[in-house]
Amino acid sequence: MNLGNFGNILLLVCLSASLIQSLYLLPKKIDINYKIFSRIPFFFSLFAFILLIYIFVDSNFNYQLVVNNSHSEKPLIYKIAGAWGNHEGSLLLWILVLTIFNFIFSYSKIKNLDFKKNVISFQSFIIFGFTLFLFFTSNPFIQSESIVNEGLGLNPVLQDLLLAIHPPILYIGYVGYSLVLSFAVGGMLSNKVDKEWAGWLHPWVLTAWIFLTLGIGLGSFWAYYELGWGGYWFWDPVENASLMPWLAGTALFHCVIILEKKNILQSWTILLSILTFSLSLIGTFLVRSGILNSVHTFASDPTRGLFILIFLAIILVISFTLYAFKGPLLDNKSEINLVSKESSILANNWLLLSTLFVVFLGTLYPLGTDLFLQKSISVGPNYYILSLLPITVLLLFIMIIGPNAKWQNDKITEIIFSISKLFILSLAIIFGFSIYFIELQLTQITLLTLSLTLILVSIKNGLRIKNNYTIIKPSLGKSLAHIGFGLLILSVVANATFAQEKIFQAKVNDILILDNHKFKFKSVEQTKGKNYNSIKAIFYLMDNKTILETFKPEIRVYSNPPTVTSETSIVRKFLADIYVVMNIPENSDFVNVRIHIKPLMSFIWFSIILMTLGGVSAIVFRVRLKR
Amino acid sequence: MSNKVKKRLIIILLSALVLIIATLLITMNLRDNIIYFYSPTELQLTNIDKKNIIRVGGLVKEDSYKYDDKTKIYSFIITDRSNEVDVSFVGIMPNLFAENKGVVVEGLAIDKASITAIKVLAKHDENYMPPEVIEALKKEGQWQEE
Repeated sequence: MNLGNFGNILLLVCLSASLIQSLYLLPKKIDINYKIFSRIPFFFSLFAFILLIYIFVDSNFNYQLVVNNSHSEKPLIYKIAGAWGNHEGSLLLWILVLTIFNFIFSYSKIKNLDFKKNVISFQSFIIFGFTLFLFFTSNPFIQSESIVNEGLGLNPVLQDLLLAIHPPILYIGYVGYSLVLSFAVGGMLSNKVDKEWAGWLHPWVLTAWIFLTLGIGLGSFWAYYELGWGGYWFWDPVENASLMPWLAGTALFHCVIILEKKNILQSWTILLSILTFSLSLIGTFLVRSGILNSVHTFASDPTRGLFILIFLAIILVISFTLYAFKGPLLDNKSEINLVSKESSILANNWLLLSTLFVVFLGTLYPLGTDLFLQKSISVGPNYYILSLLPITVLLLFIMIIGPNAKWQNDKITEIIFSISKLFILSLAIIFGFSIYFIELQLTQITLLTLSLTLILVSIKNGLRIKNNYTIIKPSLGKSLAHIGFGLLILSVVANATFAQEKIFQAKVNDILILDNHKFKFKSVEQTKGKNYNSIKAIFYLMDNKTILETFKPEIRVYSNPPTVTSETSIVRKFLADIYVVMNIPENSDFVNVRIHIKPLMSFIWFSIILMTLGGVSAIVFRVRLKR
Repeated sequence: MSNKVKKRLIIILLSALVLIIATLLITMNLRDNIIYFYSPTELQLTNIDKKNIIRVGGLVKEDSYKYDDKTKIYSFIITDRSNEVDVSFVGIMPNLFAENKGVVVEGLAIDKASITAIKVLAKHDENYMPPEVIEALKKEGQWQEE
């Protein structure tokens, strides 16, 4: 039997097993052994995925997908990564991750069996939908139409290690929220949305959030060094597509915390769960349908977009119908006081959702005008910056106050008193900086002071000093994540304020001066790489006569397919990155060089790592406390 | 009305007001920051505000790409095979820029047939054609499926 048919059979088994499992959702509750039917799809999609990797590694050009996306000369690692570097393969990966979540969840020790089966069955329904989509519109095991001896895919820009691991991580984040939706549907079906439910959900929401955070960070890091524009976030639709579920997911897990502690906000939490996974699906739709004009190119096909839209509609109709019947009954009657931890988390929710609204509008408005008015437009980054500025200020303010408020009721004067010293300290530092170094504007002072205060307050909240011992509190995760966010805003603002950029046309031995840095253009080196010709320009960062750093920005000329790429040369220092890109215009005797000084770049990446670590330690501490 | 109901009503009205004002501000801000895209033919037919940043896209005309050593200005012509727009640009040309390939430039219009570019956008893939460029060519009946 040939491998393609074998792959198709694996997919069919996965399809039918998940369909059978999802029958439990019917009013009659067709109950079969959930342990078997929730685990079969995992093993079969795993086999299918391994099989796909195998035909890529084997460079088996009997398959159209391999022909289009691989090449026998590709290094092994990129052959493997090529398996999910395309639409069909990435969808199979998406399904695999869906089944992994269902598989692990099927081992959870939840005693309420009806609830557990409902969750598993709805997750199986989602798996069924996506496998159907894969099988009929994007089958990875389609044979090539003619005999081919060599593949087409050797696009050098896509041969990048980070680009290979980025999609799986982002997908775990996106897909993690599918289980959250299944929790919402299962909870409504079994009338089980309460403290205990929130406790079960908590680690899953965090897991998805951790991976999504990391995925967005990696994507941004890739754009920074690979695109060569010196930026790390372009408010590009594809980036926004991953930011939207992140914002909703962040609001969601804060709500789950209140629900677990105070047993309130049931229906609101359910609504956020539906919203978050819907945004993950919309994100996939936007990226895969090809209706977006993006700096990141993807294989695209309108029928695929349509399928995702229909599937999204089905999921929304099911969840909202259920919500219409069950939602109002879920809530506990309760009053929330204006000054309390609950109210500050709610305020944070509204601010995150406002941010979401701004991003959503900016991303989808151009699509609307394109579809209905046949007018192409794009939205400039200033829209996002100006709209999000006041929201960020409020968000920082509430993040400083909120964690210091007690549950239920607190006095605002006491909270303000407890943080006033750190606030004054931060203000003094920023003012001092403004006076001695560079004069800052009011918005910059506000943002920098608030984010610095947030960092200091969060550090203080994470530690407790007792008899000269410093004790780490169980709320360390929260503190780390909040420190991370404060650091992110601080370094983003500082980066935007103090970044410098200059373009030079340089000949060998020229001296280029940017700010107080002196660069010497030493020489041009030509070498032959594995499958490209390389031209490197050597620059020295000089201090009078001594060489401090060497930069080797590079141009690579690939012949198959004919492509030219620029490789940036970045020297990372504690306080700033120095970023050099060059290219050579046709028929010219000079090179074009662009040099950026990017302050606090490393801090931006570090802040994302802090947020991720915050999520991880929140899960770890939770598991420990339970024991 | 009891005190409690009154208090609630005030809170609801206030939050509605805040919401409306915020939405208005955001949408107005959106309107100010929209960048319109034109094909060379559309540019001919529109009254352009010279203060607004626009995008123009099409194919780079053959033999039109030039560089002036003294002024350090790159110039080329964008065409949709019916109309043309002259582009001038100071900066680094992207690697994937080439004659007879698709390009999108962002900048300020000087008149209906010329623009000073601030950014020249050419994309990753050697076969990639910006969707707006395909649209622009289709409108002029100049698009051929490969």
